[in-house]
Amino acid sequence: MRRWITQLRLILRSLFRRKQVDLELDEEFQYHLGREIDEGLNRGLTPEAARYAARRAMGALAKNREECRDMSHLTLVEDLFRDFQYATRSLRRNPGFAALAVLIAALGIGANTAVFGVVDAVILKPLSYRDADRIVTLSTLWKKTGADQPSVSVPDYHDWHDRNTSFEAMAYFQAGDTAVIAGPTAEFAADATVTNEFFKVFGVQPVAGRGFSEEESKSGSGAAAMISYSFWQSHYGEEMSALGKTLQLGGRALRIVGVLPPGFHFPAKTDIWFPANTIFRESTIRAAHNVQVIGKLKPGVALERAQSEMTAIGDRLERQFPQSNGSKNVRLRRLRDDMVKDVRLMLYLLLGAVGLVLLVACGNVANLLLAKASTRGREIALRAAMGAGRARIVRQLFTESMLLALVAGATGVVFALAGSRALVLLAPANVPRLENTGVDGPALGFAFAASVLACLVFGLVPAIRTTRVEVNTAIKHGAAQNAGASKSRLRGALVAAEIALSVVLLVGAGLLMRSFAALHDVALGFKPQHVLLMETSVTAHMTAQQAMPVYKRLIEEIGSMPGVIAAGATRTPPGAVRSNGPYWVDEAPMPQQINVNRPQAIFSFAGPGIFAALGVPVQSGREFDASDNFEAPPRAIVNQALVKRAFAGQDPIGHTIAVATDSLKPMTIVGVVGDVRQLGPASEPAPEVYMPYEQHPTLSTFLTIAARTTSDPGQMTGALRRKAREIAPDVPVKITTFEDRLSQNVAAPRFRTLLLAIFATIAVALAMAGVYGVVSFMVNQRTPEIGLRIALGAGSRGVLKMVLLQGVRLVIAGLAVGLAGAFAASRLLGTMLFGVKPTDPLTYGAVAGLMALVALAASYIPARRAARVDPLVALRHE
Amino acid sequence: MSKPTDLVQGTLNLLILKIVALEPMHGWAIAQRIKQMSSEVLQVGQSALYPALHKLEQQGWIEAEWKASETNRRAKYYSLTRSGRKALNQEAASWERLSTAISAIVRSA
Repeated sequence: MRRWITQLRLILRSLFRRKQVDLELDEEFQYHLGREIDEGLNRGLTPEAARYAARRAMGALAKNREECRDMSHLTLVEDLFRDFQYATRSLRRNPGFAALAVLIAALGIGANTAVFGVVDAVILKPLSYRDADRIVTLSTLWKKTGADQPSVSVPDYHDWHDRNTSFEAMAYFQAGDTAVIAGPTAEFAADATVTNEFFKVFGVQPVAGRGFSEEESKSGSGAAAMISYSFWQSHYGEEMSALGKTLQLGGRALRIVGVLPPGFHFPAKTDIWFPANTIFRESTIRAAHNVQVIGKLKPGVALERAQSEMTAIGDRLERQFPQSNGSKNVRLRRLRDDMVKDVRLMLYLLLGAVGLVLLVACGNVANLLLAKASTRGREIALRAAMGAGRARIVRQLFTESMLLALVAGATGVVFALAGSRALVLLAPANVPRLENTGVDGPALGFAFAASVLACLVFGLVPAIRTTRVEVNTAIKHGAAQNAGASKSRLRGALVAAEIALSVVLLVGAGLLMRSFAALHDVALGFKPQHVLLMETSVTAHMTAQQAMPVYKRLIEEIGSMPGVIAAGATRTPPGAVRSNGPYWVDEAPMPQQINVNRPQAIFSFAGPGIFAALGVPVQSGREFDASDNFEAPPRAIVNQALVKRAFAGQDPIGHTIAVATDSLKPMTIVGVVGDVRQLGPASEPAPEVYMPYEQHPTLSTFLTIAARTTSDPGQMTGALRRKAREIAPDVPVKITTFEDRLSQNVAAPRFRTLLLAIFATIAVALAMAGVYGVVSFMVNQRTPEIGLRIALGAGSRGVLKMVLLQGVRLVIAGLAVGLAGAFAASRLLGTMLFGVKPTDPLTYGAVAGLMALVALAASYIPARRAARVDPLVALRHE
Repeated sequence: MSKPTDLVQGTLNLLILKIVALEPMHGWAIAQRIKQMSSEVLQVGQSALYPALHKLEQQGWIEAEWKASETNRRAKYYSLTRSGRKALNQEAASWERLSTAISAIVRSA
């Protein structure tokens, strides 16, 4: 340890007190010389002879001194300064070259830094909760498929909570978007019902007021709420008087008892929390999965240990309740991993892709440096002749590359600032923690690392290459000729590598584009054009029973508005499944028969007019009408997938179906409708049961009203909002067009497709610049030869062909490697592909053709120049 | 710090360490001592001595101090550091091994 300090001290001394160190070195030598001379005099030599002998004995003093300075790191420090000055001068002498090289490298570094910023914010940064690494989510695991779902049944949760020893706190929550009256009007607010250990999991304390008391958490009580800091600011101006005020929710008045610290909004964007099992009764059915569970491990308990304990509890539940818990268990995940599990693969894919872009950019800069080095052959040979060692020359060239890389890195950071803003805007809205994205410490570190890496890639090859110069021939022949055939082979290899990398990117982008197109072409089963969706919620101060007439009137009035062809209501418009479970045909099941392993169907609650409004065809029987009200016998409509599955294609009208929702009563099937891809275009239509919303009022307190319009639905938004306010001033509404909503569903595929396409375009452009550069270089070099050929009668067509062939050779080599690479790498796209195989021959073929075409175009310009060489000029040049 | 050094360089380092282990000495005296100790067999050119000294100083095995010498002029005196002593023991041992091995080979041949 002490030695390191000594060494560091000496190096620093050499760095900052160079004069002093040099003087001491001189003094030491002078002393030695003096003693040597004395010695000579003692032996009886004359003063001159003694001095001469002493000097000879000391050998070449100058060289000796240089070596000592080397040992003291003096020369290293000085050389570094000199190299930097030299590099600056050399780059300044070629501002065009320097700017181009910096720009290309900066593009690569900037793009990488921006993407890394997103990866860091979303995946790498720790969560901002206390002891965040001990917070885990517990989800339902289906052992047969190995898949897990976030929703958990309440009785399962209670058993997990009561039987475990690994957790210091565990809670469930259920998030909603509910109508609330906190100010003058009703509005939508994100709320969550939570059990009493919820805030303990996150280690948060209210900044004003208090948490829920035991009394307030008791089942059935329910009169208390806590609010977020931002809700406190926006609705109560941060006044302490907010405590004790009430807000209307779920037909109840809740008293505000506490305010949570700024920034705390879990889950998602929640503003209002209230105790579970108070306003809304919790479910007691083990087969009904509708809450999410979160817990905090005790300190020192490893995730694996907790998992094995919970698995054992799950096994016991499985034996105890085979009907509801057969092949069901529990999976633990750290909260951070759970939050990003859907986007992790995509983000790493993008980081990898943008890394390839950087490599291509480096290849280009290396090529530029090589081209420049070839005009510097003479200078370097001269330096070598003057006695500069090879390492010394490499170091000098390397300094130049490093300078380039650092300037490029700084420029790249500027690019990254713009790029990361663009990324955040483009990214799908469901990417968590995206708002933390920025060019901060880690991103700057990354940019620096990328610069150094880039320098290693594009600096080393030309540096080593250039120094392999035969001093004699180089000085004799001058610049142009010394760049021999081996150097242009190296440049060719670099460009071929660039092409290969671009091909990998292009294939990836092509496959994603085909998937995206396939997603668009899927028949969704409904017609989203010209449809407006209006989300409503009546839970602010009405009970479910009171709400039904309001909805009825809303739908009728909206349906008769001018410009509206059809209107209807549904609990879940396509793309938002809220409820599913087992069903029974022609059978009245008992509650204990509810079994999670029975065939499942999606449950939807809808009103008259909905199928016409959404454009779902009614294939037999009828749709819902006004007669399907609360007093009428229970009825249902099923889709074709269910008919196929449960009735083997026979007519189901008149049969009954029972499902596990608010009642198990068999319902008479009155109609069959077409299939709808409820879970998005990428998943097959599932069996579905539609029920009249009026017959299930407690599940229908929030409905979406769909209105099919004659013209642009966007223009109807204002009229619809006014109508809703007029009929039901206390019902908040959110209005979007169906198409806008669907485009959010494909936001993630669109984002990754767009980015990969951009990256591929940049890479191809760079690679083509490389092809152009190498072919022109070749033409320049062979101008005398080409002139001779022409003089001897070669036609311009022949010359054109010869040069184009050079370009084609590069492309063929690059394509071969690139297609093989793409074949291996496209597997990584996995689940991101839809309707297309990773080995899709059409994509590969198109990429190969495109690449060949573009490369031909890039070689054509220098080829034409070659064909027009004037033999006289070319030969005189020689 | 076990960089492989070539034989001559390693040997010179070993000699220098051995000499300054006895008492602090300046460069000229070290050169003289090497000459005496090796009975004039090993002529150490100063061109090799000083770089070696500076290298050893950089490595932290010897440290330097300016003091008045026996001729009353200022001279740079080198002395062994603690880690230098360790290095000396190691180098000496490995030299011992090497020379024994070589002698054995030479004799048996």
